[in-house]
Amino acid sequence: MASMLAPERGAGIHGWGVYIPRYRISMAEIAREWGWPDHQWKALGMVEKAVAGPDEDSTTMGLEASLNAIKRAGINPSDIGAVFFGTESKPYAVKPSATIIAEAIGATPLTMASDLEFACRAASEGMRASIGLVTSGIVKYALVVGSDTAQANPGDVLEFTASSGAAAFVIGSSQGSAAVFEGSSTYVTDTPDFWRREGSPYPRHGEGFTGEPAYFAHIVGAVRSLLEKLGLRPSDFNHAVFHQPNGKFPLKVGEMLGFKPEQLKVGLVTPVIGNTYNGSALIGLARILDYAKPGERILVAPFGSGAGSDAYSLVVTDVVEEKRGRAPTVDDYINDKIVISYSLYAKFRDLIRVVKE
Amino acid sequence: MAYITGVGLVNVDRHYDKGIRGLAFEAASKALDSSMSSEVDFIVVASSLSYLQEPQLDLASYIASSIGLRGARSIAVESGEASGLAAVMTAKTLVESGVASRVLVVGVDKVSDHPSWRAYKHLSMLYDTESDAFYSIGLGGVAGLLMRLYMHVYKVDRLTLAYWPALMHSNAKKNPYAMLRFSITPEKVLEAPPVAEPLTLLDTFPLGDGAAALVVEGSPSRGALAEIAAVESATGYQSVALSDDPLKIESLEVAYMRLVERTTLESIDVVELHDSFTIMGVLELETLRLAERGKAAEAVAQGYFSVGGGGPVVNPSGGLKARGHPIGATGVYQVAEVALQLAGEFPGLQVEGAKGGLVVSLNAAGSSSYIAYLRSVR
Amino acid sequence: MTGWSPARVWRSRIHRYRLIAARCTSCGRAHYPPSNACPYCGSRSLDNVELPRVGRLLSYSVVYTTPFEDKSRAPIVIGLIDLGVAKLIAEVVDVTPEDLEVGVSVEAVFRRVSVDGSTGLIVYGVKFRPRREG
Repeated sequence: MASMLAPERGAGIHGWGVYIPRYRISMAEIAREWGWPDHQWKALGMVEKAVAGPDEDSTTMGLEASLNAIKRAGINPSDIGAVFFGTESKPYAVKPSATIIAEAIGATPLTMASDLEFACRAASEGMRASIGLVTSGIVKYALVVGSDTAQANPGDVLEFTASSGAAAFVIGSSQGSAAVFEGSSTYVTDTPDFWRREGSPYPRHGEGFTGEPAYFAHIVGAVRSLLEKLGLRPSDFNHAVFHQPNGKFPLKVGEMLGFKPEQLKVGLVTPVIGNTYNGSALIGLARILDYAKPGERILVAPFGSGAGSDAYSLVVTDVVEEKRGRAPTVDDYINDKIVISYSLYAKFRDLIRVVKE
Repeated sequence: MAYITGVGLVNVDRHYDKGIRGLAFEAASKALDSSMSSEVDFIVVASSLSYLQEPQLDLASYIASSIGLRGARSIAVESGEASGLAAVMTAKTLVESGVASRVLVVGVDKVSDHPSWRAYKHLSMLYDTESDAFYSIGLGGVAGLLMRLYMHVYKVDRLTLAYWPALMHSNAKKNPYAMLRFSITPEKVLEAPPVAEPLTLLDTFPLGDGAAALVVEGSPSRGALAEIAAVESATGYQSVALSDDPLKIESLEVAYMRLVERTTLESIDVVELHDSFTIMGVLELETLRLAERGKAAEAVAQGYFSVGGGGPVVNPSGGLKARGHPIGATGVYQVAEVALQLAGEFPGLQVEGAKGGLVVSLNAAGSSSYIAYLRSVR
Repeated sequence: MTGWSPARVWRSRIHRYRLIAARCTSCGRAHYPPSNACPYCGSRSLDNVELPRVGRLLSYSVVYTTPFEDKSRAPIVIGLIDLGVAKLIAEVVDVTPEDLEVGVSVEAVFRRVSVDGSTGLIVYGVKFRPRREG
């Protein structure tokens, strides 16, 4: 029996939106460049990844996703009282992107705004905070944006999956929302699985260490805590989406938790767009909302290195159908692509050393 | 009344061995010598890129002192690519108002000292940095889209538009001051590297340095080369995007209407106009109604504006395309060339018996336009 | 060297981010970017209007004479875009030049327009891309 007292029930998703850049690079193209055997990327369950163009960054992508979410929410942007921008690829180390987005959508000046960092789960922390702000009545709507132009050391195995994309959600009262929160949970420990020091252009990671003690332990910890709190079982969910660093990990953690592959199908996008870091689980959630039927229950479990995971249970309402068509869907962005070479990818992502004036 | 009593031209080229002061000195010396006197009340300096490239402020004063005219009154005029003709307008106004009796106009700019990619950046500043030049328009971006628009609206093909550069090169072959003195065919224009498609390298003015000078007097004691009958101008839209008819240069149309109010254009035998890019030359001919809308390129191809073609001879100097375009100096070259044509003394392709000539100079796609009518005094 | 000082970036942010044009209350015409007076009738009485984000590509040029700092995007497509109430010139992105045609439908996107080196400000603005079908 779901708890009737979970405070999260006062909040829901009023609008969702994504942005995925048009450019794609194939796994075979990356493998050929660095002398990887094809097995390497096939084992990751990958096909292609999205590449941000040279005039894009996490802010520009986050803004387009936000405009899509606001179109679906159908609200006046000046009613947004908080903007959370979760990213690990900030265009400025110091200077918020959240204010650029807040200004561009018309939510300024009377709004909270901040950039959050917690690797791939920063936006999700913003989502939990938004639930609190909305249910307490402090803000009417909050905008949560997860956006990254993920970088990997060229030639590192991470290069197969590190990609670019953004997701945004307008959180408001459960009344009139497309999906209501039933509950949420967060599970964090100090775990150095993947990190980037100040001044370093690329992150480092513990390879196998990123798996069991990090990704799996925290997602399992958060999800089990949520299921226990709400008295729910995996079979109570129609859809589940986990942080998806590649095409295999989510299937494995799903199995560990007792979910079936069919439940993960709609939300699994990494094989065709790569790991969009703060966009990862959230673009998957957006895709589920593009397809889900009223009454369906969704589990969302983002994960961020460092390490931590969140777990949410959402129930879709009737309202989802009227909002769906107001903005491009995840598949609209997935299908709109221009496939590029490694050299163009290297130029776009600034991997070629050019001495500027 | 204002008269041109001396001219001095430096050949347009890559003058690595001379700075702007050296180039200005050469042109000024020639102009003063040809006017038989070094007396100057006022020096008007036209330059545009120098402010960005030297970089130098109070340019007119420093040039005046460096060329032996310390003490003279000086003023600098900047109107982008039209600076030269704006400076001539200023000189005419000074002598007609009685403020000065002998004005030296010097136009000077260097475009080839810096690497081309830096020149492209500076040249883009001739466009509005709040709108068009907010983006990376490079050299020719706006002209390129006007060319494509022209071809689309009037169904004129690329080859027809290539006769213009061929004519310019043919005219410049005889001009000792021209930068480019070799023939080209229209086909070669299409084969040339793209600059801002559909514009190719052979549709685009060459990057060269130059200086030109004039002596302008109200009451010449000796004979003059020509009379500056009238100069008019108008400011235009900040961007062609604001215009309801981007293929008409509104500011030039207004300047022309003002010109005909000021003076009678008894005959237009020669025209030196501002063909920074092929399309600009074409649009100017149509704006001035020297050709019907959509028909100028064809008329050029048919030889109407060539010697003996029936129309006024356009750009016998080779124009901006082949004589060259040292930005702020160009307008002064054009006035000098028409004055020499009217005096029967042009060292290149001479328009026999020319009695009246037009000079057209504008900036970018018409943010400002200047037009002058010169009359023969012979 | 950049002309985009912190103050200039700040002054122009609203019209750059939100495609806000000025509209003349005398003659009713709109223009972008907003100026101090109507470029059509000269009136100083202007108010704001947000432009539509979808329009038509009236013309374009593919520019190869790219300044060094923009080399990663060369050649750059410059377009003349008609948004109905106003027209503007802007870059056209996310397209191979061969796939462009006069008259295609385009939509506004928010992008980096210029960056002041590795330590200076990023100037954002609106560019256009061909509108996806469906």
